[in-house]
Amino acid sequence: MKKTLALVLAVLTVVALALTGCNAGGGTAAKTEMTISVGPYPDTIDPALNSAIDGGTYIIHAFSGLVGYTQSEDGKPVLTADCAAELPTAVVGEDGKATYTFTLKDGLKWSDGTDLTAEDFVYAWNRAIAPETAADYAYMFDVIDGYTEGKLNVTAKDAKTLEVVLSNDVPYFLELCAFPTYMPVKKDVVDGNETWATKADTYIGNGPYKVTEFSQSQLVFEKNEYYHNAASVKTDKIICAFNADDTSLYANFQNGSYQFIDSVPAAEIKSIEEKYPDEYKVSGQLGTYYVCFNVNDKALADFTEDERISIRKAISLLLDRQHIVENVSQGGEVAANTFVPMSLSDADGKTDFRANANGGAGYFNIDSASYDANCKEAVKLLEAVAKSSGKFTVKDGKVAGFPALTYITNENTNHEAIASYIQGVLAIYGIDLKIEVQEWNTFLNTRKDGEYSIARNGWIADFNDPISFLDMWLSESGNNDVQFGKGAHKDYKGYSYGGKDNLTWAESYDKLIAEIKACTDIEKRFELMHQAEDILMATGAICPIYYYTDNYMISKSLQGFFTTPLGFKYFMYATVA
Amino acid sequence: MDKKFLYYLIKRVLLAIVTIFLVVTITFFTMQAIPGGPFLSEKSPSKETMAALEAKYGLDKSMGEQYLTYLKDVATLNFGPSIKFRGQQVMDLILEGFAVSAKIGLIAAVIALVFGMVFGSIAAVFHDKLVDRIIMVLSTAFVAMPSFLIATLLLLIFAVNLKWFPTNGSQAGGLVLPIISLALYPMSYTIRLTRSSMLDVLGQDYIRTAKAKGVRPSKVLFKHALKNAVTPVITYAGPMIAFILTGSLVVEEIFAVHGLGSFFVSSIINRDYPMVMGTTIFLAVIVIIMMLISDVLYKLVDPRVDLS
Repeated sequence: MKKTLALVLAVLTVVALALTGCNAGGGTAAKTEMTISVGPYPDTIDPALNSAIDGGTYIIHAFSGLVGYTQSEDGKPVLTADCAAELPTAVVGEDGKATYTFTLKDGLKWSDGTDLTAEDFVYAWNRAIAPETAADYAYMFDVIDGYTEGKLNVTAKDAKTLEVVLSNDVPYFLELCAFPTYMPVKKDVVDGNETWATKADTYIGNGPYKVTEFSQSQLVFEKNEYYHNAASVKTDKIICAFNADDTSLYANFQNGSYQFIDSVPAAEIKSIEEKYPDEYKVSGQLGTYYVCFNVNDKALADFTEDERISIRKAISLLLDRQHIVENVSQGGEVAANTFVPMSLSDADGKTDFRANANGGAGYFNIDSASYDANCKEAVKLLEAVAKSSGKFTVKDGKVAGFPALTYITNENTNHEAIASYIQGVLAIYGIDLKIEVQEWNTFLNTRKDGEYSIARNGWIADFNDPISFLDMWLSESGNNDVQFGKGAHKDYKGYSYGGKDNLTWAESYDKLIAEIKACTDIEKRFELMHQAEDILMATGAICPIYYYTDNYMISKSLQGFFTTPLGFKYFMYATVA
Repeated sequence: MDKKFLYYLIKRVLLAIVTIFLVVTITFFTMQAIPGGPFLSEKSPSKETMAALEAKYGLDKSMGEQYLTYLKDVATLNFGPSIKFRGQQVMDLILEGFAVSAKIGLIAAVIALVFGMVFGSIAAVFHDKLVDRIIMVLSTAFVAMPSFLIATLLLLIFAVNLKWFPTNGSQAGGLVLPIISLALYPMSYTIRLTRSSMLDVLGQDYIRTAKAKGVRPSKVLFKHALKNAVTPVITYAGPMIAFILTGSLVVEEIFAVHGLGSFFVSSIINRDYPMVMGTTIFLAVIVIIMMLISDVLYKLVDPRVDLS
C-alpha cells in the first residue's frame, strides 16, 4: 500500500514538474498580458443592448466598426477607417438626403474564421432598432433615413459595399459609426438566441480581441488572429476583472494586481494626487453636472412664472462653482456656466460650442472674483420678486418668509456634499432648503415624475454634437425632468420662435428642435442650437454646476493606451512592460 | 427512522411550502409597492423602447396576472430571465454566484463553529482568569465591529501593506481574507454563547458528581459538559450558516469575490423583479433547510426534546 502511494506521488511530482517546466521556459516568447478593471459585472455586452460606458469598452475590443479610433502623435484620439477601406464623404442629393458609401477592406473575417460582409452591418443596425430587441440606444440610428418607419435605408450593394442614406447630413455621422451600438453582429449566432452575448463561445466578434472567458468575476480577451489589423495589436491577453468597489479597486492598483482602474475612492483623491502624480489621470468628459428646478413646483405655485424665473436665477447665482469643484467634489472638474459642456465642437468642428454660448460670454460669470457681484445680483433679483409678489421680504440681503424648498438627491457622498453646500449657502440668505436623500431608483422616479422642487442631475453625451443636450428637453422626452411643456407649464406662453412671441413650450422649443433636426445647412444648424440653449438657460430651470471629468489610474508599465471624451477606453494598441 | 419522526418531517416540509408561499407573496407585493421600475436610469429610454421592454418582461399585464404567472414560475423553479442582466437566466446567475459564496461560506462557518466552541470552552474553564478576559475582550470587539470595517482593515493591513495575501479573490490565496472576515463575527458570537452556557452547565450537580467520581477533567469537559452546553450554539448555527452560505455584499465587494451577496442588494436597487424573487426564495429555502437540520440535531443532542 505504502509502495503504491509512493509511486503515485513520484509520478505526480514528475508530471507536475514537467507541466510547470513547460509553462516557465516554453521556448516561444512569453505571452504578454494585462489585468484591468473598468467596471463591475456588466449588464450586457451585446452591442445593440449596451448603453453603459464599461460595456462599450468591452464591445470596442471584441468588435470593429466601419470607423474606429487610433491615437495621433500628440496623443489625441483620431477617427480612422476600421472595417471601411477609407472614410467616405457624404453625397447630398436634391432632396437633402445624404448618402455615405462605405467600401469594406478585403478579407474581413469574424473571430470564428467565417467571412464578414456588408450585409452583416445591415442586419446589426436593423436589429438594434427593432422593437423586439428593445434597445435603449435604438435612437442612435435616428439620423438614418427610414428610422421612423422601422426599416433603415441601409443597403449592401455587394459583399463589400455598404450604402447608408441619412435623412439629412449630420457632421457627426462618421463618429457614430465608431460607436459601440454601430458594430456589426453575426446573424447565425445572434438570431433567435437571447443568450449569445452571455457566453464566450457564442460571443463572436470581428475586433482586435476575442472573448475566451466570461464569468461573473472576469472577462478575458485574447488576440483575435482573424482581425484585419492583427499586426498592430501588441498585448496577447487582457483580463478585465469585474470590481464594483472603489476601495478594492485602489487596493488592487496599489499592490499591482490591476494595471488600470477606472474609478478612485472620492475621499482619497487628494492623497492619490500626491502619491501617484504620474499614474492618476483626469481627462475631460462630455458631460454636465447640474441642478434642475421643477417648473411646476408646488412650493412656488403662488408666484408668476416670471417671478419663478428670477428666483431660480437668483439661487443659481448664489452658488460658487469654483468653490464646489475645488473644495467639495475635488475630482478635477471644471466649473460650468453653460449647459452644453466643454469639448463639444461648434460648426467648424474645432471651436468649442461653449466658446460661442450666449454670444461667447457663457450664461454667467464663474470666476471666483465675480462671485460677490453674482450674489449682489441675486439679492437684487430676490428684492424685485419680493416687491412684485408681496409674498416675502428682503432686508439687509436676507429674505424672510420665503417658502421652504426641498432638494432631492440619491445616496452618494459627492451628491450629498454638494447638496449640503447649497443648503449652507442658501441659509446665509435666509432661504430654508431641506435635503431629501432618496434611494437610487426611487429618486429617478420622483425626479422623472416632477414631484420635487430642486433636484441634482447629470447628463453625458453619446456623441460629439450638442443636440443630445437639447432634444432631451422636448415636451414629450422621457428625460424632461424639469417638466417643460407639461402640467401647468403646458399653457404658459412666454417663449418665442420664428419671430413670434407669447408661444408655449411646445410651440417654440419643440418646433425649434424639429427645425434643427431637419436642417441641412451646418452653419445654420449650429446657430439654431445656440438659440435653443439660450431659450433653455433663460428659463433659469437648469443650473449647471460643473463639467464632468473622467478620473482613472494607469500603471506606468502600460503604454499606448488612450481614451475618448465619450469615456471608452482603448487598450488594443497598448503594450505592457 | 421512527414513525413519529417521519410525521414530523412531513409536517415540516408542508410548513416550509406554506412559508415559501408567504415569502413569495409578501415579496411580490412589496416589490410592486415601492416606486421606480427596472428601466429607469439617468438616461431614460424612449417611450417606445420602454413599452417594448415592459411587454417583453410581461410588466404591462395586470398585477394579478403577473402574480399568477409568477407563482407558476416559482412552482416550476423557473424564475425567468433577469431584467438587468440581459439574456441571463436568474437561476444561472444565482447558481454561479452561490457556488462561490457557498465555498467560502462553508469554510467560514466551520471555522466559526469549531474555534468558537473551543475558545468559548476555554474561556469558561478559565473563568475570570487572564485567558478568559483576553478572549472576551477580543470576541466583544469582533461582535461589535461592522464587517465593512473588519474587511477594509484586513485588506489594508494584510494585502496592501504587508502583502501577505492578494487583494482580490481571483488570485491564489485570495480567499483567505474574505473567509476570515466572514468568520470573525459568528466565531465571536459562538464563543460568547458557548462560554455562558458552559458556565451554566459546569455549575450543575452532575458535573460535580462526575468530578467527585474521579472522571478525567478533559472527559468531564468534552463528554459531559460540552454536549449539554452546545444546544444554544445549534440553535444559532442554523440561520447563521444559511446567511453565511448566501454571501455578504460588503465582504464580497471589498475582496472582489464574485458571489451571491451583491445580488441581494443590487437586484432591489435595480428593481430587477425576477432577480429579487429568485434571491429571496433561494435564501428562504436555505434558511428553512438549515432550521430543519438544526432542529433534528437538537433532538439528537438532547433526547428529551419532543419533536412532535
